[in-house]
Amino acid sequence: MARAIQRLAGAAALLLIAAGAAQAKDVRVALIPGGPHPYFANWEQGAKDAKRDFGIAAADYKVPAKWELGLQNQLIENLSAQGYNAFLIFPGDPVATNGPMQDLASAGIPSIATAGCTKDPTPALFCFGTDVGRSAYLGTQHLLQAMGNKGTIVHFTGNLVDPNTELRMKAVERAVAETHGGVKLLQTIADIDRTPQEADEKINALLAARGKEIDGIITTAWLPSVSAATALRRIGDKRIKMVAIDHDQVVLDAIKDGYLLGTMLQNPYGQAYIGSYVMEEIVGHGCKVNAGAPFKKNAYTTRFVDSGTAFAGPNDVAHYQDVMKTVTKDLMATFKATYLTCS
Amino acid sequence: MSRLRNLLRADWLGLLLLVLGGSAALAVVRPEFLTPYNIDVILVSFCLTVVYALGQGVIIAIGHMNLALGAIGCLVAIAFGGAMEVWHLPIWLAAVFGLLLGTICGFINGWLTWRSGLTSFIITLATLSIFKGTALGITQAQPFYRIPDAVKAFGSVRWGPLPAMLLLALPIVIATGIFLARMIPGRQMLAYGGNPNAAELSGISRARVVLLAHTLSGVLAAVAGMMTVARLQNATPAIGDEWLIASFAAPVIGGAVLTGGHLSVVGTCLGVLVVALINQALVMLAVDPFYVQVLLGLLILGAVGLNRLREARLGTTAPVRLS
Repeated sequence: MARAIQRLAGAAALLLIAAGAAQAKDVRVALIPGGPHPYFANWEQGAKDAKRDFGIAAADYKVPAKWELGLQNQLIENLSAQGYNAFLIFPGDPVATNGPMQDLASAGIPSIATAGCTKDPTPALFCFGTDVGRSAYLGTQHLLQAMGNKGTIVHFTGNLVDPNTELRMKAVERAVAETHGGVKLLQTIADIDRTPQEADEKINALLAARGKEIDGIITTAWLPSVSAATALRRIGDKRIKMVAIDHDQVVLDAIKDGYLLGTMLQNPYGQAYIGSYVMEEIVGHGCKVNAGAPFKKNAYTTRFVDSGTAFAGPNDVAHYQDVMKTVTKDLMATFKATYLTCS
Repeated sequence: MSRLRNLLRADWLGLLLLVLGGSAALAVVRPEFLTPYNIDVILVSFCLTVVYALGQGVIIAIGHMNLALGAIGCLVAIAFGGAMEVWHLPIWLAAVFGLLLGTICGFINGWLTWRSGLTSFIITLATLSIFKGTALGITQAQPFYRIPDAVKAFGSVRWGPLPAMLLLALPIVIATGIFLARMIPGRQMLAYGGNPNAAELSGISRARVVLLAHTLSGVLAAVAGMMTVARLQNATPAIGDEWLIASFAAPVIGGAVLTGGHLSVVGTCLGVLVVALINQALVMLAVDPFYVQVLLGLLILGAVGLNRLREARLGTTAPVRLS
């Protein structure tokens, strides 16, 4: 009897939330990263700009206190109870995040997996993030071209539990293979995107041991990029060419000072800006996701949209945010027509 | 003759032989192992790790544990960086501020453990969240980048193979060794760790021992946090995230007993070196990244097993307290 009452109460609560969501004219978007990380700082600005440009009632960046799935799930529940009716979520786990997304969907609240994908079958409308393989491939190509397609490179990348890491490793190997033996991939060091000290130790160990053999470095994760840039500056080596990823200030300064060729920018700003806009269109104006849209496929999902990537060299460092905004503008120009159906 | 016998019975001798043997083997396989830059990399790793390992060691000595060690290091690191960047404090004043903050955090851990009667596990689990959360709240996950050149130089400068950081790490190691082996408060800490009831019956104050150990741990975490800022050249709230396991591993590999009463400073140093060497070997020998963790675990197990085997044969294994 008690269980039946609990179920009835739960169903009533969901119906109330759903009814609230259905009647809401105001769109309230919550942007939730997996935890605190500098990568997501641009989400906040993207959300603010989208709120201003599209008249969204609320587009708020809400960070879980730490990288813990339970905390993120709890935050999602709390925010939905507070009236947020659209969610952009970086999945704390590609499978487990489907749970809270399903709860939202049951209450009529849409969500987009942002900056990372949830695994199919997923209630997420689609996944909106960087095509990591393409970014790693293009970054490696920039490096190899600067090396004249000759020499030896090393690859510093992220954590092995993240399937994106394998995609990045394969992309780098593919770019190297295309030189037909001109370039050799000496070594890949992975699992160094957890803590800065670990990345610093392993990268310096390799540079100390085999630095003379290395002509180029490609990094495809945030912390390895910062540590490798710091290491090259520390040893004052401009012979070794390097292409990084992301826009940490250490990386940007190293590019400006000639220690790095450049960095592969991702587009967190655009993820937040376009993601918030899409939610305004769907929740506020009744648009739907176009089932026949030309989605890409990746390791997780068949509904992937590339949020864009761009190479930033020394001339772009000072205005890298403009580069990201240009990528965003290009995406925005066709996004609605391509991915949404509006009556 | 008796000195030689004592040396042969030292619980860290096996680790020393492992470090020497491992270094010799690596030097043969990879001659670049002996380059000044490479030795500097190992010594920098040693300097950073040994300070926070001793920070955990002094807590292990009294049979407690400090889960908040990394969080204190993190809070002090961002306070140190922030004080210089935002408040424009001179380096020395920012360092004093950091030390004071670490001391206070450690004291809070000790005071709460003593007054509440709860285990240090529970208390430091709670303060871990408080200290780390404070650091994240202050920084919003963004590092402080404007670290003065003098601080950066301290983390980078080396004379041949010797990093400047040794100037700080070595005195700390020596002072901790003398404190535990020769000074009354240090001996009291070990006595308390060995048998708290007997120690209290013999007049050793529980409050004093607990407060002293936790405060000392906070100070060492603070020093390690600021050293890490110098090395990384920025003050990021990710500092300290990897300290927990390493801080227990080094003293325990070095022969410390988790239930308290025994801590070898020399053994802790060698424990740090063994792990640093294994990590270095895995990078130098280009081990497949998917198998690095497996080999790391096996090699640490092998190193500790060999040392324990030697101790067992000599009958010098540190006693385990049963209470």
